[in-house]
Amino acid sequence: MLEILIHGAVSSAIYAMLAVGFTLIFGVARVLNLAHGSFYALGAYGAYYFTSHLHMPLLPAALLAIGLVALFGVFVEKVLVRPMRRSQLAVLMITLAVALVVEQALFLTFGSEYRNVPEFVSRKFTIGGVDVGGQRLLALGVSVVLIGLLWLFIQRTRLGSAILAVSQDPEAASYMGIPSDRIFSIVMALSAALAAAAGVLAGPFLTVQPTMWLLPIVKAFAIVIVGGLGSIPGSILAALMLGYAETIVGYTISTSWTEIVSVAATLLMLVFRPAGMFGKRAAF
Amino acid sequence: MFGKRIDFAGAAGFVAFMAVLPLVFGGNYLIGVLTVSVIYGIWAVSWDFMSGLTGRENFGHSLFIGVGAYTAGFLNTKFGFSGWWSLPASMIAATVFALIIGLPTLRLRGPYFALAMLSGAVIMQRLMLIFWEQTGGEEGINGIEPLIHSQLGFYYFALATLVVTTALLLALARSHWGLILRAIRGDEATCQAAGINVTYYKIASLVISAAFAGAGGALYAHYQLQVSPQLFAVVTSITIITMVYVGGMASIYGPVGGAILLVLLTELLRDFGEWRLMVYSCTLILILFFLPNGLIAPTWRRVKAKLGRPQ
Amino acid sequence: MSALLEVSGLNKHFGGLQAVRDVSFSIEPGEIVGILGPNGAGKTTLYNLLTGFIPFDSGSVVFKGRNLRGLAPYRIAGLGISRTFQLCRPFIGMSVLENAVVGGLGAQGIDRSDLDQRALALLDQVGLGGKALLPVETLSYGDQRRLEIARALAAKPALLLLDEPFAGLGSGEINDLSALIRSVHAEQGLTVMLIEHKLHEFMRLVDRVIALDFGEMIAEGTPEDIVRHPAVIEAYIGRGDEQAEEQTDAA
Ligand SMILES: Nc1ncnc2c1ncn2[C@@H]1O[C@H](COP(=O)(O)OP(=O)(O)OP(=O)(O)O)[C@@H](O)[C@H]1O
Ligand SMILES: [Mg+2]
Repeated sequence: MLEILIHGAVSSAIYAMLAVGFTLIFGVARVLNLAHGSFYALGAYGAYYFTSHLHMPLLPAALLAIGLVALFGVFVEKVLVRPMRRSQLAVLMITLAVALVVEQALFLTFGSEYRNVPEFVSRKFTIGGVDVGGQRLLALGVSVVLIGLLWLFIQRTRLGSAILAVSQDPEAASYMGIPSDRIFSIVMALSAALAAAAGVLAGPFLTVQPTMWLLPIVKAFAIVIVGGLGSIPGSILAALMLGYAETIVGYTISTSWTEIVSVAATLLMLVFRPAGMFGKRAAF
Repeated sequence: MFGKRIDFAGAAGFVAFMAVLPLVFGGNYLIGVLTVSVIYGIWAVSWDFMSGLTGRENFGHSLFIGVGAYTAGFLNTKFGFSGWWSLPASMIAATVFALIIGLPTLRLRGPYFALAMLSGAVIMQRLMLIFWEQTGGEEGINGIEPLIHSQLGFYYFALATLVVTTALLLALARSHWGLILRAIRGDEATCQAAGINVTYYKIASLVISAAFAGAGGALYAHYQLQVSPQLFAVVTSITIITMVYVGGMASIYGPVGGAILLVLLTELLRDFGEWRLMVYSCTLILILFFLPNGLIAPTWRRVKAKLGRPQ
Repeated sequence: MSALLEVSGLNKHFGGLQAVRDVSFSIEPGEIVGILGPNGAGKTTLYNLLTGFIPFDSGSVVFKGRNLRGLAPYRIAGLGISRTFQLCRPFIGMSVLENAVVGGLGAQGIDRSDLDQRALALLDQVGLGGKALLPVETLSYGDQRRLEIARALAAKPALLLLDEPFAGLGSGEINDLSALIRSVHAEQGLTVMLIEHKLHEFMRLVDRVIALDFGEMIAEGTPEDIVRHPAVIEAYIGRGDEQAEEQTDAA
């Protein structure tokens, strides 16, 4: 029972980090970014590469990886996505193509074997008789802190309120002199950095391989659909629901079924409540 | 009228070229490549019929391909049916799946529909692995019998299937039926105001698209003599979408050219085997940027305009 | 012969907003009826209720003796009610001619063998004959309005619902369009309802006006009566300068 509680919280935290960034860039720029999973993969691979090939200490390696992925996110947004923004499907196609290019680049560079991302914390903790890896607890803690900081940033700072303004009404924001293009880049950087952080933190206990972007993006999409596109609290709640649903299914049925849970949840949600559980009616 | 005659001449020339190619160069290797390219052609045309015309991009076309291929595999190896049952059976199976997934999801638009279909394909791929005792898991089903023992014979059969598929779908697309599908892409509310049962047409077009994709899947199963969960993979759908983009969306005939061109092109790059998917992805990006209307169909229209003028 | 369209006790609310309240009227075959009302009066909502695009809460709509409650929009259109939209909604990506042809593809029991010729003739009639093969995106706003009407007529409707057909048009164009509506009415005995929020264009065109305000019918009568009707004057004058101007415009 306690085991489910703890592991569910860890999965939920990782999912929330992915989904919050994904929903943020949609809410602000109306971009459904299928390359979001690639940021996560690149984060994990970055940490792996900088530590094992360049022999950097883990913390700088992790920060460097996250920073580079954020830059890559800005590149994708500025160079590839921006010219396509008139059509949502073109955006979908171009970001998907980016995801495939990243996958292939990783495959060509590192091959398809699993790679090891080093752990920040390798010792195990015992909580109420349940053994939990320290890295998992760290992932949980860091994700809560990062999402909290993001929330404060959006609610409390000037830049944050500009972001909110653009997401609520881009046209009005442009009358107010808010440079929406710059806002898009900033949000993309934040969103990519969060995904990369999730990759760095979860890398040690997940399989790091070139196709690792696909399921997270499907799940992030699922969470965001369930929570309502563009809603940050909605996606956090939905991440909790999915994280726990998967953990419970994993414990009670079999882990091979966990992957299906979120995908099936998306499908059901799309069919029955396309506006999301908590969201307003989105832009259908 | 003249335009139609040029179209017909172009089509005849293309079919003759495809038919003669293996006779001139020979070799089972080339025949194999051509067979695969022709099967991809069937998939691309069937994708274009529904997604290109109605503007709902289907990111899970591999669902219908996989269902068709597995149907062929099951019938042939587990139940001992002759391979000739595979084609009709796989079309029926794909139709059933199209109804199951289409009825609830087709009212969704754009990215939402794309995602729903993608989810459907991912679920099927996972189910193949979960129920490995029945489906053979990662390895899939082996020992499927060939449909026609001569490789060249099978190639001609696949080519004929492609020609029939394209001709049928092209005729449909150019009829009032196709006009309605394009109108649905234009504006659904106006369609309803014009008395058109939008849901019916969307479902019907998905069913038709799925049926031909399923038939292509069955052909593929009888070519590879084996099926695996990889058929359901997202990359299969993406490859097909890239081919359609190269060919020219909503033109129906364009994607045939796109499929053949891309399969042949990647074979030429065979020494860079690992680079195949990279080539596809980069092609897709370049096409999206520089040729948003595609390559084949716009070129053909230009040729036609040139030929039409001097008369 | 009974009425072509019989609406009684129609109600619709959106959340707390009563968009249409207890509206009853009937339309005789061959009439041209205007629906008048200031912005937000519920005119478009009324059309949406009549054509099934939005389900109504209570009341009934009977067309040619048939109750329309719960029918899908395409079924209602198929029975012979064609409508245009307040904001033009052409089929993007198709030619002008194709747009008009699609208009005739959904109606029940009409002969489709000569649809292409008929669509061309309709385009001629609305003054788009020379533009049949152009992509619809290239049409001016006024031309798009004409096309909407051609598309609606292609279904050979018994009742045509026009939603602000004159909005955004210059006075020359308005005269042309009025003449067009009058001519299809005269030639085919078509019954027409049209929405306007200015009386001006109505006056010479319609037989009867139904005035709405805040979702309620506030008056019904000949255009001459309506201009003088106290409730109508109140509805317009009570709304600040812009509407008052329109009212003087109308008088
Ligand atoms: N689908 C809807 N959901 C919620 N409210 C709606 C909906 N459609 C209309 N309304 C509201 O109902 C009221 C009536 O709107 P309607 O569009 O019918 O007015 P109208 O008379 O056509 O006005 P206009 O002259 O501006 O076209 C308005 O307050 C509008 O905001
Ligand atoms: Mg209105």
